[in-house]
Amino acid sequence: MSAVRTNDFAFGSLRVDCGAGEGTELLRSGLRFVLCVLSLWIGTGNALGAGDGEGSVNFVNDIQPILTKASCNSGGCHAKAGVGQRGFRLSVLGFEPEEDYEHIVKEGKGRRVFPAAPEQSLLVLKAANIVPHGGGRKIELGSDEYRVLTRWIGEGMPYGKPTDPKVTSLEVQPGRVALKPGVHQQLKVLAHYSDGSVRDVTRTALYEANEKSMAETTEEGLVGIRDLPGNVAVMVRYSGLVSVCSISIPLGAPVEKHPPVKNFIDELVFANLKRIGIPPSELCDDATFLRRASLDIAGHLPTVEEARTFLESKDANKRDLLVEALLSSSGYADYFAGKWTMLLHNKRDAADDITANFAFHSWVRDNLRSNTPYDQMARELLAASGRILANPSVAWYKRVKEPQQQVEDVAQLFLGVRMQCAQCHHHPFERWSQRDYYGFAAFFSQVGRKPTGTPGEDVIFHKRGIAQSENKKTKLPVKPAVLGGASLEISPDDDPRLFLADWLSDSTNPFFAKALVNRYWKHFFKRGLIDPEDDIRDSNPATNPELLEALAAQFIQGGFDLKSVVRVITQSSVYQLSSVPNEYNGVDRQNFSHYYPKHLTAEVLLDSIDQFTGSPTNFSDLPAGTRAISLPDNSYNKTATFLKVFGRPEGASVCECERVQAASLSQSLHLMNAADLKAKLTAAQGRVDRLAKSTEVDSEKIRELYLASFSRQPTADELQTAEAFLGRTVLDDKGDRLDPQKARREALEDLLWALMNAKEFLYNH
Amino acid sequence: MFDRIFPAFSVVVVWSVVGLLWGEGVRAVAQEVGLPAPRLLTLMPMGGEVGSEFEVAITGDYIDAEQQQLVFSNPKLSARAKTGADGKRVANQYIVTIAADAPTGLHEARMVTRLGVSASRAFVVGTHAEVLRKKPNTTMETALSLPVNSVCSASVTAKSVDYFRFEATKGQRFVIDCSASKIDSKLTPVVIVADAKGAELIANRTGGSVEFTAPADGAYFVKVHGLTFQGGAEHFYRLALLEAVAGQSVGEQPAVRTVSSVSWNGVTGLSKEAKSFHAASHDEKRPAPVSVSLPCRIEGRFFPAARVDTYEFEAKKGEVWWVEVASERLGYATDAFLVVQRRVQENAGDKWVDVVEMNDIPSPMKPSTNGYSYDGPPYDAGSADPHGKIEVKEDGLYRLQIRDLFGGTKANAKHVYTMVIRQAAPDYALVAWGLHMTLRNGDRNALSKPMALRAGATMAMEVVVVRKDGFSGEVELSVEGLPEGVSAEGLKIPAGKSRGMILLSAREDAKPGLSSAKFSGKATINGASVVRPCAVASMAWPVKDSTQEIPKPRLVADAPVSVTSAELAPVTLIPTEKKVLEVVQGEKLTVPLKVTWRSEFSGTSLKLKTMGDGFDSAKEIDVPLKAEQTDAVLDLAALKTVPGEYTIAFYGPGVVKYRDNPDAVKAAEEDQKKAQLEAASASETAKKLAAEMSQAPVDKKEAVAQAVREAAEKQKAAETAKLEAEKRMKAVSDKAAPKDTADIVVSEPIRLIVKAAEKK
Repeated sequence: MSAVRTNDFAFGSLRVDCGAGEGTELLRSGLRFVLCVLSLWIGTGNALGAGDGEGSVNFVNDIQPILTKASCNSGGCHAKAGVGQRGFRLSVLGFEPEEDYEHIVKEGKGRRVFPAAPEQSLLVLKAANIVPHGGGRKIELGSDEYRVLTRWIGEGMPYGKPTDPKVTSLEVQPGRVALKPGVHQQLKVLAHYSDGSVRDVTRTALYEANEKSMAETTEEGLVGIRDLPGNVAVMVRYSGLVSVCSISIPLGAPVEKHPPVKNFIDELVFANLKRIGIPPSELCDDATFLRRASLDIAGHLPTVEEARTFLESKDANKRDLLVEALLSSSGYADYFAGKWTMLLHNKRDAADDITANFAFHSWVRDNLRSNTPYDQMARELLAASGRILANPSVAWYKRVKEPQQQVEDVAQLFLGVRMQCAQCHHHPFERWSQRDYYGFAAFFSQVGRKPTGTPGEDVIFHKRGIAQSENKKTKLPVKPAVLGGASLEISPDDDPRLFLADWLSDSTNPFFAKALVNRYWKHFFKRGLIDPEDDIRDSNPATNPELLEALAAQFIQGGFDLKSVVRVITQSSVYQLSSVPNEYNGVDRQNFSHYYPKHLTAEVLLDSIDQFTGSPTNFSDLPAGTRAISLPDNSYNKTATFLKVFGRPEGASVCECERVQAASLSQSLHLMNAADLKAKLTAAQGRVDRLAKSTEVDSEKIRELYLASFSRQPTADELQTAEAFLGRTVLDDKGDRLDPQKARREALEDLLWALMNAKEFLYNH
Repeated sequence: MFDRIFPAFSVVVVWSVVGLLWGEGVRAVAQEVGLPAPRLLTLMPMGGEVGSEFEVAITGDYIDAEQQQLVFSNPKLSARAKTGADGKRVANQYIVTIAADAPTGLHEARMVTRLGVSASRAFVVGTHAEVLRKKPNTTMETALSLPVNSVCSASVTAKSVDYFRFEATKGQRFVIDCSASKIDSKLTPVVIVADAKGAELIANRTGGSVEFTAPADGAYFVKVHGLTFQGGAEHFYRLALLEAVAGQSVGEQPAVRTVSSVSWNGVTGLSKEAKSFHAASHDEKRPAPVSVSLPCRIEGRFFPAARVDTYEFEAKKGEVWWVEVASERLGYATDAFLVVQRRVQENAGDKWVDVVEMNDIPSPMKPSTNGYSYDGPPYDAGSADPHGKIEVKEDGLYRLQIRDLFGGTKANAKHVYTMVIRQAAPDYALVAWGLHMTLRNGDRNALSKPMALRAGATMAMEVVVVRKDGFSGEVELSVEGLPEGVSAEGLKIPAGKSRGMILLSAREDAKPGLSSAKFSGKATINGASVVRPCAVASMAWPVKDSTQEIPKPRLVADAPVSVTSAELAPVTLIPTEKKVLEVVQGEKLTVPLKVTWRSEFSGTSLKLKTMGDGFDSAKEIDVPLKAEQTDAVLDLAALKTVPGEYTIAFYGPGVVKYRDNPDAVKAAEEDQKKAQLEAASASETAKKLAAEMSQAPVDKKEAVAQAVREAAEKQKAAETAKLEAEKRMKAVSDKAAPKDTADIVVSEPIRLIVKAAEKK
């Protein structure tokens, strides 16, 4: 268990204020840093408690932390999976001390240690780089670490006695602190032992901030605050335990007003903004909200008619009504089905996957459309049995065949917990052990399979028997256990997956609801309250924990109603804040003081272009007019290059990070020059074609284009510029005046192209 | 020199040549699989109302328009060719008459053609009004109005959605059922009920029906499309819009029978004292146990989800009870599983100890994995229903728990089960299908062959037995009701084994004929002779590429066998002498065979295996191509054949250069010559008249001009006729060009007696 404790140490004497308001003076800062380290050394004394003269050295308590701090047992060095490094193998981060002890002391006939002359031990010679060492010098000659290591060898390499004290918890001081930008804070780390003793392990602990853009850490535990306001956590690890220092970095600006509070989201976000002194932006205008909500909820641009109707409406409640209308639209089900089916691996590897994939996509879509409670959907997926056509959720077991992947996917997707590490060793940043991993895997141990007529497709059923899995390392059976729970005795008659599903629905489940609301929060706000959204752990706390709790509680109380989550988020003032920052909040990246603009996803962008140009993309074997957000699987990425270039995922990963959202040169070039996009501009029956043939005045055409692309009317300047552009005289290569009809058509094409390439089009803002 | 000057060019040339050769090679090895067999592929409509007469359009493979006839498995259904206003028959169209007393449900429709009887297609006889979709209805605007309580026959168009419109009043309840795979269609239907604006209200994408209650008065739409938006004539369906009246159940449309259902013919084997029981009420997942007495029949339902029914009974040491459950075989997507436990009373309380688990009825043969290579028949005569025995080792209270392994999260109140617990009533069920073997990887085309024999051919039908309640005896196989000139020989299913064979052989001089045959088996059970019918299974569709399409097996309602003399078998292997061969155990048996070759074959010989009880492992025999006689030698010592009577046959793949209807070429050639002559003559006449025109006197000019015009028209018509005759000639010649076609060659059966060796 990790031990996060708060205490009065928060503003203790070790804090060094570098004077945020006085400008950054590197030299002075450096000097203060050195002073700081010196004061640390003096203040904390010798962090290696078993140093000179005190009792005997214990391998687990004294040697392992040295190896860990020196990165000897990191995955890239001697803990490289299966092989180690040049014949010397250690467990990852020392989670298997007995094995490590064997390897150091006994392997190779004890060649790594030489008690008669400890300094001549290969272990010491390599670590100090006296004998050439691929990893370079890891321990300084004469350092405390050096002395402890040689003393331990000299004493005959004792492993320690079973009665020796064990580390039971870790405490970091301060546990919670508010720091101004530019300030440095030295952390102090205390290890509490089973005999009640406490040891200062600041020197041997490891430090890492969850947001490196906000705080940097040194090996000695000195935290430097950068100039981004918000909340950052510094994770401290020692001897398999984790603790966190939560740091709040206030901007300190006056927060005199905020938009109206519509629901608890507004209360909690505005309270946080007030606490850290970041004033929120104003509410966005109607056009922006219409476009934003349509794109975020239903994955499509508003049509010109929808934009006109919404902008002209005088209904005070029109924003809430729009959200309701979007939630009832087929676009909502299509858009979110696309999101979920990619995470659930609905990918086409062979031609005959098509039926399973379409059936599964339809199952997800139908459930979203009818708003099946989320826990029920999860239940039907996890405990699916039968044939795919009769029960399409079985298709998940076609894609995710191995129990190991089932465990990891379910944990990451439904619980926001990454369990991969725990298969082989204790999770380094978390509480999860191999017992947790194999206990979780045991829920899937009785999944029976029978072949069907379709190769690669099985009938899934509950295979009667005692649910248990085998620990890969110990070869011992492990009974089912939910994360953090005790082992369950499940009758061989019962499908253990139903017990797992029951636990998901349990209102006390600490992960299930949180993982979903956090995932949806990120969908709408670009950043999760916990980010990455599927890496929920004590060492990666939420930036607004109260809000996450409140969202999760509302979700549970509402019966796991997914539309309700969307509703409460999109009807909040926070969601409706302008993306235009005020004079203070431009630097904010995590407190939601303004709306963070997002790239349109590949599918949404293609649909938007199709809708704007009036030229739909045809997808093989699907009816004309099928939108990209409705595509059932990844197979269309091959034929629709656009989707691939703009990062549509292949359904290979349970992580949303598979979707590439970063802009790239190829995307820019594609938007500007790709033949398929040019063809859309000039398509017969397309928008340009219709406008070119229309007898409407230019100003009306321009208004239509702005409404179709930006959901707003053009400004007077924009209108004037566009009118002048459409009406200008164009000369051909020979200097003759181009046919006015042709010139007008080309000008319209150019105008569409320009609007389509504007950031206002490419982003949801 | 050349390649020094044009190195790149030479490479191109070389590769081009290689490419050409490779292309030729590919063409040379490209083979058809299975000699042409007539197949009825689609009917439109694919059903009708009792007591009605209507038009039906058909499509198929190898069904010559001039020589075909549509027939049905029930005599109350009949068809006659449709004739046009000119009195000529309209190709592929029929007038079907369903008698007023015709049985409702599914029947088989087939074509009778030059090559014999075709593979069948399901045909429905119902009691509801029929609607035929005649125009495209792929938009809301073109939606077809559907009267309530009617059934519409249609097929979906690829990448499209079919729209139907109906009117409803608020609260009116409907069952909308789309029958597709139930009647052999390739369609996996999606049925959506939408409001007047087209917005989806309720949908079914898993092939079942939709129950819909109208929320308001007004118009509604039913949308139908393929799950994967595939379409075409083979993706046909029958959409029923039926009003659900309170208190009356609306039955689903009839479905073809699964192969697994062959082993369930209702409750059998129960003694008179057996009682009937029902499961506990269906509002609990785990109701209290129901006490039953044995033997008995129990009816229950797998509802709600994760339902477990428990039955308790007393049993005495030494008793043996057989349990059989039917649910999947009743047509439900269930996987029943049961466990029997015995109560053990301990101080701490009752403890239940496992006695036996019962799972699926295993397939008698390992079914195909439908992979690239052929690895077994894609027919599974097993079932997900359990069957097994309880051996009572101690007196006491026992309990039996039954659950649906597919029902953990989903449940359907229609998913019922019937369970029988009885004393051993040994019995068996048989099913036969056309023997298949590796002919070309991925190709399962030959699996959908009808029993249409060419004169001189032998066709092998693989037969499997599903054994019940411990029956392990041998089963003799036989066929009755064969057409003149066709005989059948059963290669028995040995005791304890699962597989036998029936060989259908047509004499070389057999005249065309068709009859409905009866396949059956005979076994001795408890000293009595027990005859059971042998069902016949086939594939709904010829499958050319198993990676693109999974074969769809089903039982067929009847077993017509035909013989044709329009084509003869490419090769006939018959024993030289029609007699029972005798051989002594452990010796070598020589079977002299007469081989009649009627077509050219590829390769140098036919390599044939042996079929028959214990002969499967015999060494392959080699029949050199064109050899008129050959001796097949079997080493009985190696085979360890024990004394007894046997029937064997030789079989294996052969690649024949098949010519499709070469007789038609001669006729077409003659037609072509005639048309060419007529065209030449008409041309000559026209030329002559044109020459006369210039010299004709004024008073006759008009008459000559008229004659010229008429001649020109005749010439034009003759030219058109010539072109058509040439086109037909080309088509017929192309069809008749030799094509490498792989098929299974089977010898006529050979009977033999293996005598015991004399003891020395």
